[in-house]
Amino acid sequence: MNTRTFHTCAFLEKFSTYGKIGIAIIIILICLAGYSLFAGNDMHMIPSGESLERPSIAHWLGTDDLGIDILAQIGHGATVSMSVGFASAILAGVGGSVIGIFAGYFGGTADKIVTALCDIMSAIPQLPLMIVLGAFFGSSTANIIMVIAMISWVGPARTARAKVLSMRNETFIVAAHSYGAGFAHLAYRHLIPGIMPIMLVSVIRIVSHAIVAEAGLSFLGLGDPLSKSWGVILNRSLNFPGIYFTDFWKWWILSPLVALMLLVVAIAFIGRDVERIVDTKR
Amino acid sequence: MATLELSHLFVRYRQDAAINAVHDANFSLSPGESLGIVGESGSGKSTLAMTVMGLLEAKTTVTGSIRLDGTELTTMTERQRDGYRWRRIAIAFQNSLDVLNPVMTVGAQIAEAITRHMALDRESADERARQLFNMVGLEAKWLQAYPHELSGGMRQKALIAMSLSCKPEILIADEPTMALDSESKAEIIDLLKRLQSERGFSMIAISHELQVVSALTSRILVMYTGNVVEVGPTRAVLEDPLHPYTRGLTYASPSIHPFRDMWGIPGEIVITEETQCPFYSRCTQRIPACLHQHPALETIRPDRQVACLRGGIVTLLTGVALNKTYRTAGGAIRACDQCDIAIRAGEVVALIGQSGSGKTTLAQMLCGITRPDTGTAVFDGRTILGNSETRRTGGVQMVFQDPLSATNEALSIEQIVREPLDILRSDTMAQRTAKVRSALQQVQLPHDDLFLRRKGHTLSGGQRQRVAIARALVMEPRLMIADEISSMLDPSTAANILRLLKGLQNLLGFSMLYITHDIALARKIADTAYVMHKGRLVEHGPASRVLTSPNSEEAKRLLRKLGLDSSYGR
Repeated sequence: MNTRTFHTCAFLEKFSTYGKIGIAIIIILICLAGYSLFAGNDMHMIPSGESLERPSIAHWLGTDDLGIDILAQIGHGATVSMSVGFASAILAGVGGSVIGIFAGYFGGTADKIVTALCDIMSAIPQLPLMIVLGAFFGSSTANIIMVIAMISWVGPARTARAKVLSMRNETFIVAAHSYGAGFAHLAYRHLIPGIMPIMLVSVIRIVSHAIVAEAGLSFLGLGDPLSKSWGVILNRSLNFPGIYFTDFWKWWILSPLVALMLLVVAIAFIGRDVERIVDTKR
Repeated sequence: MATLELSHLFVRYRQDAAINAVHDANFSLSPGESLGIVGESGSGKSTLAMTVMGLLEAKTTVTGSIRLDGTELTTMTERQRDGYRWRRIAIAFQNSLDVLNPVMTVGAQIAEAITRHMALDRESADERARQLFNMVGLEAKWLQAYPHELSGGMRQKALIAMSLSCKPEILIADEPTMALDSESKAEIIDLLKRLQSERGFSMIAISHELQVVSALTSRILVMYTGNVVEVGPTRAVLEDPLHPYTRGLTYASPSIHPFRDMWGIPGEIVITEETQCPFYSRCTQRIPACLHQHPALETIRPDRQVACLRGGIVTLLTGVALNKTYRTAGGAIRACDQCDIAIRAGEVVALIGQSGSGKTTLAQMLCGITRPDTGTAVFDGRTILGNSETRRTGGVQMVFQDPLSATNEALSIEQIVREPLDILRSDTMAQRTAKVRSALQQVQLPHDDLFLRRKGHTLSGGQRQRVAIARALVMEPRLMIADEISSMLDPSTAANILRLLKGLQNLLGFSMLYITHDIALARKIADTAYVMHKGRLVEHGPASRVLTSPNSEEAKRLLRKLGLDSSYGR
């Protein structure tokens, strides 16, 4: 047990100050999300005060036009944002890696098809595509995850393909082939461990991208209207008539914006450190 | 002059001994012929000589026949035998102080032998001793000397004089040059050759020094633990030995292979019964059948006989008419053009050529990594198809040029070395780990748990190359292909790796194809050499010839470049 604690500490030691700040922010947001998830009082849906209250002891970030607590909404939104972000990133990362490994390893027609598909995907502007796909599939959290994954797999696929292509010429792969190794052995022993580090980095990049994309879709009204994601809060607040004529915007608009920025910046900090840590060459 | 014939001769020192001191010896000695008997110490050379002389201890059992001009010697009484000894067959004993009586002068001892066997009076015997001394080039004054007063060379001459005292028809010279300096050695060899041509006796020269036997004799008999394993013309046998044991003897002799490093025959003599091949425990090409049959001497080429169930040293790998052309934008490159190559069991073959001469392509075709356009490579009777020989134990393994690329640095040492076994799925995990440990031990790396867990990237280039060799060793290859394995290492590390690999080759007995552009290095390790130039094999032959006085222009040019290199070095 002692050694485990030691290892965890050693792992944390590898992060820079910024990285540690990023981790701290994520932990706070997770706590907030956890609280709103397990408190079970539906604070984010049921009005608990007067409409448009200023921040106070009872409502730390004030209330919205229906008198619903904004902090509770931010907490609930964190659940949505983070689950959408991580789920779509992992989906895109795993899917893209699998496609990339196959294309890189088998080459030939498979490779040509994948490369062409990647080129097409990156040639189409992402936001319009996302809007069209979002409108087509309809608005639900699961669908948003699908849509974001569908436009984000290109990066991981390309990275995996390039890495596998370069690894294929390494002598240790030639040697393993000569011992009779099949695709399964090579993928398990050499290819997947080989692309893991760079894949981690590219997945982390997709996380922040996906969080912003989800907020964007929700803001445009393509999000799940039943959920209180940060994009939906923004959407409602900005659509409130005459919001800028009052002080409401200070808590109602800024709160989800700041939360979004904090999460994205925190992930960026962590991503930068992870990139440095997994690079064994240095 | 007389003919000596031995057939089915068995000698056993004590009735209860399990192993024969001489096992089924068959050979004949024609008049005027000189026959050499070679072998390691204890191979039965002297026993054979003593049996012919009839000078064995009383408890020894001798069966079979020894005939001199048709007269059977083995059944004779001691008295009858005495009439033959010295007068017809004489022996010059192994040179040592205790052969001669220390308290009698040398002259008196020779005279005694003469009076005993030739019925001469004392005075004429003394006279004859003087003549004999004159004949072997010793001054007459030494007749009055005691044995300890003579030098080794002089004592040897005195022994030869003594053996020739009764004008024998057959002379057995037992280790005539043992423990002599090279000048005295040459003197004795010249003396024996001169005496033989003057007197016309036939000679059996027994020695463990190949150069002595090769200088004295025209035919040679190779003995191992009492068995005659190879017979043939001296020159042919020493240049192209057919029995692995004979080859081992020549490899251990710097006078035959002057540039090559000396390596003895490894292993211990282990013979449990007479129904097995006596050389089994040290052989590089043994098969299970060798444990159940005692091979007899058989003629496998005109004038060449060898006792081996496999018919002498076998050819392990042959490449026939191998072609490979690489097509690039700039046109076609013939990397390999009608290449024929043969690698025999237990042999180190050097493939020498400049960069881009097609060496690596040829090697990759021989192990199945690259597919030849036309032509076939056959290993142990099986055609090589893709990885058919590299994925089995006892097959072909390759060690690559770049140690950093040949092993996955992200894996642990254990995972790297164990990989072929993991793919093979033959043993339990514990057995695999045990094999990994012993392979690491063989390449002189640590093999504790801590080291097994270390990642590949924590090792140096030389260590990585040793790990790569260990990975090849766990597959127990019979042919190792080493492609410029030292070219990326510093000279000291390279030297260590090469000595290690050559030592393992010698110990484990696998064959090796060593690919290099460095002639100086090839000279150190190679038995056979192939020279490659622009995709063609331009010359091949024994390394001692090809690497010192080649016939082809390309090989000569490589040699000249070597001269350039070493003059820069100075």
